Amino acid sequence: MKIQCFLLTLAETGPKTSLPLFLLGVILYFPWAIAGFATAQTTAEYGGSDFKTVAKQIDARLAEATDGVPDEIDDATFLSRAWLDLVGIRPAANEIEAFQRDNNPHKRNDVVQQLLADSRFGQHWGRYWRDVILARRADERALRLVSEGLAAAVAERINHNARWDQIATDFITASGDVRSHGETGLLLAQKGEPEGITAEVARIFLGIQIQCAQCHDHPTDQWKREQFHQLAAFFPRVGIRPVRNSQPRNFEVYSRNHKNKKGDGKGKNKKPLEYFMPNLENPEASGLITKPVFFLTGHSLELGTADQDRREALANWLTDAEENPWFARAYVNRLWTELIGDGFYDSVDDIGPERNCRHPEVLSILAENFIATGYDINWLFQTIIATAAYQSAMPMHGATIGTTASQPLRSDAVFDNLVQVLEIDRSAKGRGNKKQKEKARQVFQQAFFYDPSLPRDEINPTIPQALLMMNSRQINQLLRGDRRGTMLARLLAEQEDNTLVVASLYLRCLGRLPTDQERSTCLKHIKARKNRSEACEDILWSLLNTAEFRRRN
Amino acid sequence: MKIRRTQMTIERGQVRRRDFLRTLPTAAMAAGMLSWSDRLALAAAQNKSSHRACILLWMAGGPSPYETLSPLEGHGNGGNTKSISTSVPGIRVAEHLPHIAAQMNDFALIRSLTSKEGNHNRASFLLHTGYLPTPTVKYPSLGAVAALQLGEKRTALPPFVRIGRSTRLRVGGGLLGTQFDPFAHRDPKNPPGNTELATDTNRYRRRLNLLAQLQETQNVAAGVKDSHQATYNKASRMILSPEMRAFDLSLEPKQIRDAYGNSDFASGCLLARRLVEAGVTFVEVNCRGWDTHQDNFTKTHELAGQVDQPTAALIKDLKQRGLLDSTLVVWMGEFGRTPKINARGGRDHYPRVFSAAMAGAGIRGGQVIGRMSDDGSQVVDRPVSVPDLFQTYCRSLELDPESESISSLGRPIKVVEEGKAVEELF
Repeated sequence: MKIQCFLLTLAETGPKTSLPLFLLGVILYFPWAIAGFATAQTTAEYGGSDFKTVAKQIDARLAEATDGVPDEIDDATFLSRAWLDLVGIRPAANEIEAFQRDNNPHKRNDVVQQLLADSRFGQHWGRYWRDVILARRADERALRLVSEGLAAAVAERINHNARWDQIATDFITASGDVRSHGETGLLLAQKGEPEGITAEVARIFLGIQIQCAQCHDHPTDQWKREQFHQLAAFFPRVGIRPVRNSQPRNFEVYSRNHKNKKGDGKGKNKKPLEYFMPNLENPEASGLITKPVFFLTGHSLELGTADQDRREALANWLTDAEENPWFARAYVNRLWTELIGDGFYDSVDDIGPERNCRHPEVLSILAENFIATGYDINWLFQTIIATAAYQSAMPMHGATIGTTASQPLRSDAVFDNLVQVLEIDRSAKGRGNKKQKEKARQVFQQAFFYDPSLPRDEINPTIPQALLMMNSRQINQLLRGDRRGTMLARLLAEQEDNTLVVASLYLRCLGRLPTDQERSTCLKHIKARKNRSEACEDILWSLLNTAEFRRRN
Repeated sequence: MKIRRTQMTIERGQVRRRDFLRTLPTAAMAAGMLSWSDRLALAAAQNKSSHRACILLWMAGGPSPYETLSPLEGHGNGGNTKSISTSVPGIRVAEHLPHIAAQMNDFALIRSLTSKEGNHNRASFLLHTGYLPTPTVKYPSLGAVAALQLGEKRTALPPFVRIGRSTRLRVGGGLLGTQFDPFAHRDPKNPPGNTELATDTNRYRRRLNLLAQLQETQNVAAGVKDSHQATYNKASRMILSPEMRAFDLSLEPKQIRDAYGNSDFASGCLLARRLVEAGVTFVEVNCRGWDTHQDNFTKTHELAGQVDQPTAALIKDLKQRGLLDSTLVVWMGEFGRTPKINARGGRDHYPRVFSAAMAGAGIRGGQVIGRMSDDGSQVVDRPVSVPDLFQTYCRSLELDPESESISSLGRPIKVVEEGKAVEELF
């Protein structure tokens, strides 16, 4: 919209309500507000405390435990943070303005409600789970076959308010052709092999690294070697086979309840229908036939149980909060770590009874209420974002030293923000450009991908990332100020005041206005260069190459 | 995690210390400013400056040994492939490798490599890292380990470069960090992606200045800003450095270019030599297409034709420049192929027996390690396991195989677990 209008009012008249923008905001937000209301109603069916009450409880506990309340971040920082966390892009200038002018004391909660109802919320987190699952793939083909479908499958569920237990169940019990059933992604990424599936199911849904017990009893945990293999015994009948004559090539996950007709144990279907725990002394031997037992509750199945029954039973036991708290705790810990920047445990996927937990009472409050809401994902987001810990510059007092709320953006977010800043969609016409855009997204995925389960301090910037952002011919063309149809060319044509140009570039790139010092550095640069367009290109280039652009603060 | 962090720091600290010693002027040592142990360390660091490098010629897909290094003499499994004599009496290779045959004095052949992994991805991972992939431990590839141990800072160029299209390879820095990922260079005939400036040099420098200035006061944690800035410094140092000329093959005399040949793989080999000369520690050159399930004989003939001349030329060239003594060249793929020819005239995956060629960096050429059965189906003498191979790399490249890195779960991971270097090679 008219950024200049906002900037002019900021610069000249000070904060006063801008009526047209306010109206626009109402029009834009109205449908979201309704959707948000609907969400709140579904939550009520399940019970569980109101998110504000729980957030206050957490604030009180943390204040007690850590000796004081951290400083609150300002509105612009909060808004950027919430947008980046929920929908993966920064708010546009007019959103920032509308938010800053809003006097409603509940505006922070309201904006979260609106963003949770935005379809980009599901899309952003669908991609997150795609990255989590495919980062540890044992089969390269999974990337090509199921990347898109996996993100879409999760996105659709999240946008339809699917509960976390439902999503987990869908992953564990998935079947069908992999391109149209993205939830088969976890099984496909592990090639349908029981050991890999077991490791990933326990890691992702329980936060337990039971695969360390594959060859020996877990060295630092209570898990026994048998327990790993008993869990693997839920999956020996998961089959993956090519779909005949499929174009493009496709595979399907199916239940392998019978051996091949010949019954000679040869050919593709030669794998046994039961799981055999390998004999460590004699790896060539067939091993010990093993019954499915869920290690956390002791529930078991008989040999001969059909594939779907095995996997459904496991999904039931795994998500049953009465007997297994780790399913809820793993999700709460992961989301808290993502949003706050520092978890209750050192790792998002290595928790469990013998791991050291910081602020266990806060984790319990969250997990218990998350269970009471029926694993309502939206409720958990709202609650965590409403805490003082989220809305502060330093995540938690007494947290791990050196922790900050600042986090590197994932590759899709870097790409989408670049697209937004440079208004690439405005110049894109027709299908060819959409295809090109997806190709460009892949280039960013290659350069910026990281495994979201790793601690953030292990994610380092790389040389190919720097080279891409600095030298990519496409990016450099798109940030030109003297080319028809670019964002900068439009801005320079519409705005003569360089102060406002600089402010606009900061709002677009970093979601905030420049500090006095930053403004004067930029203005000096424009003054020193004779060519205004070139000077502004340099500023835009520099902002896109700063650490701040690539991070959520 | 606290423990893990401390250990990481110590480890990284040691690296820095060694670098520090390497840059100390000899005068400081002579002036007695250093302790005895520091002097020892300095001597070690200086020795390294004669330093080792490695070129891995990676035959992606798994080359058939029988049509390359290990022909089957007079057995039906060998098909129509004939063998030829080499410059070393008693050693014969497949007829498709006349150049390598002529250079056999420099090559040692291992004909008894054996593993159990017959899946491309997993086997490629295994032969790059010495370990099978697991979801939890991100094992680093040998190139990353070499970059870490042999010097990250020897040149403005990245220490680890991977040349060619390699869709299957997802191994790199692993737990050592993204800074040890290979610098991927897909097309050796052109400059690497995004290394050409978008503006003139002066303006580029101005932009870098402005970037640094604007970033300095940004509200981002100091550590984050430092590593971001350091990465930008490294990247720009690289693209502005004269060493970038190493990527420009047109600077090479025609006669040398002709000696390597014309294929992409030939350009890759020539580039590998230029990079090693410029101080790069580990270069991988990929050649795809060895997955010959059908029509094995035509395809391997053609592929062998592509790799034979450049591989031999590379050895000769390195030797002439005095670089072969410090550069290990390895020619191999992820596994072998079934000795029995299938119905489509192809050979399928067969990890039980496969071959590799090695030259340089202390490897005694003109010899064969191990033997396979006459039908090519099994190793009958001197089996060499993947860990044995990695111990051998460590010996040749002067890497410490015992050196440990810490996985994200706090488990110490050695460069190689088990295995013994193949002593006869040295």
